[in-house]
Amino acid sequence: MLIPANSAPSSELKARPGPFVPAVISIRNREPTAMTLLLDIVTTAAILFIVSAGLLAIFGVLEIVNFAHGAWLTVGAYCAVVTGGLGLNPWLALPLAFVTGAVLGGVTERLIVRPLYARPLDAILATWGLGIVIGQLITLWFGRDVQFTENLLSGTIHVFGANYSLYRIFALAAAAVIGLGFAFLMEGTRLGLSARAIIMNEPLARALGLDTSKIRLVTFMIGTGLTALAGVLLTPLTSVDPTMGVAWLIGSFMLVMVAGSSFGALAIACLVFGGAQVLVSTFISPILGGITVAVLSALVLRISSKGFARV
Amino acid sequence: MKISTLLATVAGVMLASSAFAAEDSIRIGVPVGLSGANSVVAPSVVQSAELAVEEINAAGGVLGRQLELVIADDASGAAGAQKAFDSLVFQKEVDVLISMETSAARNAGLPIVSRGQVPYIYTSFYEGRSCNPNLFVDAWVPEQQVPPVVDYLSADGAKKFFLIGSDYAFGRGMLEFARSYVESTGGEIVGEEYLPMDGSDWTAIISKLKASGADALITSTAGGAPNVTLTKQLRGSGVELPYANLAVDEGTAKNMGADAAGILISASYVTGIESTENKAFLEAMKAKFGDDLRTPNDLSVPQYEAVYLYKAAVEKAGSTDTKAVLDVLDEVSYTGPRGRIQMSKQHHAPLTMYLGQVQEDGSVKVVGTFKDVDPGEQCPEL
Repeated sequence: MLIPANSAPSSELKARPGPFVPAVISIRNREPTAMTLLLDIVTTAAILFIVSAGLLAIFGVLEIVNFAHGAWLTVGAYCAVVTGGLGLNPWLALPLAFVTGAVLGGVTERLIVRPLYARPLDAILATWGLGIVIGQLITLWFGRDVQFTENLLSGTIHVFGANYSLYRIFALAAAAVIGLGFAFLMEGTRLGLSARAIIMNEPLARALGLDTSKIRLVTFMIGTGLTALAGVLLTPLTSVDPTMGVAWLIGSFMLVMVAGSSFGALAIACLVFGGAQVLVSTFISPILGGITVAVLSALVLRISSKGFARV
Repeated sequence: MKISTLLATVAGVMLASSAFAAEDSIRIGVPVGLSGANSVVAPSVVQSAELAVEEINAAGGVLGRQLELVIADDASGAAGAQKAFDSLVFQKEVDVLISMETSAARNAGLPIVSRGQVPYIYTSFYEGRSCNPNLFVDAWVPEQQVPPVVDYLSADGAKKFFLIGSDYAFGRGMLEFARSYVESTGGEIVGEEYLPMDGSDWTAIISKLKASGADALITSTAGGAPNVTLTKQLRGSGVELPYANLAVDEGTAKNMGADAAGILISASYVTGIESTENKAFLEAMKAKFGDDLRTPNDLSVPQYEAVYLYKAAVEKAGSTDTKAVLDVLDEVSYTGPRGRIQMSKQHHAPLTMYLGQVQEDGSVKVVGTFKDVDPGEQCPEL
């Protein structure tokens, strides 16, 4: 029998009466402490940010919605499965997934996406179809079953009195690294400068001698690489199976629509909507919590078509 | 004149031959979810049906006739089931339906079973109280599965239970029964939370669980992905409460690795049952399927036994006539991997339930056996 480990350390439980007090005194419907709630909100936002970052990178620069986003998350997660199968250190799945995602993304950009830049609706259809094909290929290769992956980090950590999941805290740091890394890429490098030029005025950028098709290719590869990386980061939180990405696709799509092309706006959208999701789940119903992001995004876009992009 | 005679003769020969073909084998229809939600478990169900048919045919068949399986994909849902049942009953003209299916598929198929008048043995555990003169069930209902779990946890000192499930008929049905059973035995429910079937973020529910002061957890999510997702997030958050999972099977537990260790499961079949019948069954499965073997489980073994129960009923009735078979289906029994099975209680079966605990290596160790647990009042009208 397992020992109920959380009966001792966490602070909210210390306030409990001794073990022999009759059940009548026990407080029903006790809510999580403010600290736990705050951690839930920021870590949920961090996970949403990690999952949506690759989609935003592609949408922001290329104005293409990559509906194969869910499939790339899945590809990344299966890189973790392969890494485990080869007996390698589970952390090696991160670089492996980035490279795999980027290479496959490069092939996709050349063969499927490139002719469709002027036809964004067709691009949605094409990438949606590609997502189905990738899902089926994964099913053929690995089967439909849930796959086992080794946890990157396990256990809990004490944060300001709350006994909290170590991995979720790590996810917060990972989101910060991805966000800052991308900000540096866009603001501090030649590639970022060129990408921003394309966002502002592509004909002018081309006239000034920028190789726009190469910049598009590299941006697409970074986006898919980031997404596959996010897939690995999801493995400690979700089951790994051929359809795992679908659950995350709509949420990320909504967030990116609201955020436009700005990583700052994406971070704010994740915090606001992720926060709302946690609050609704905690105080009203987790079933309603599941649709919070979609409903709020629709509302925000109704009020302001630019969403948070002006932030 | 001559031509019409010739035609009549040809037609007669064809009729005779088709009648002969129909007489030749007894057809067992198996509508099963080869695609959709059940696709992970369906192959194991088909395998165990194949073994039963092969064994029976090798031993001379039933009343001298060979058994033949006719498998149809029901896509795990109502629309697919209507097509599958329709095609099996009216086009393939099967003699019986024996299958593991989702409740939605079963409910969609039952009117077709009534119209086509074939016996139907349902081999999946389910939420209970599905009643039809043609329907027999050889798997468990909540009344059989939940009490062993709650009794075991209570004996271990648990008083305050927290319930977590997926938001669908089976998830809610199981937990509603668990709630009433816990309360009737003097325990208390300190929380009950659901997430949609495709939900993957259990964050808020886990924080509520940790704050609730519960000393045991009972979950009933949809099988496969939600189960794995919830368990990973529970372990990641440091929840180490005694944890009974009403919806996990051995195969999934194995896939979850160390995260599953300690989980209690309640089932009418686990591979670790120490009986000669079970050992013989497992060896025969291994010999027949080798590397392609899907681990036999609580959904596939009832399918295997149901084929034998049907055989016993046909032999006792002396024919495959639907009414004759239905009249004796509750009288015959078969001793298989799960022990002696007889669908004697209102078309349902008293079953021996096993309480298993998942070990570090993913195997399931039997920690409690509950003999012939009664299914309760399922169909008092039948």
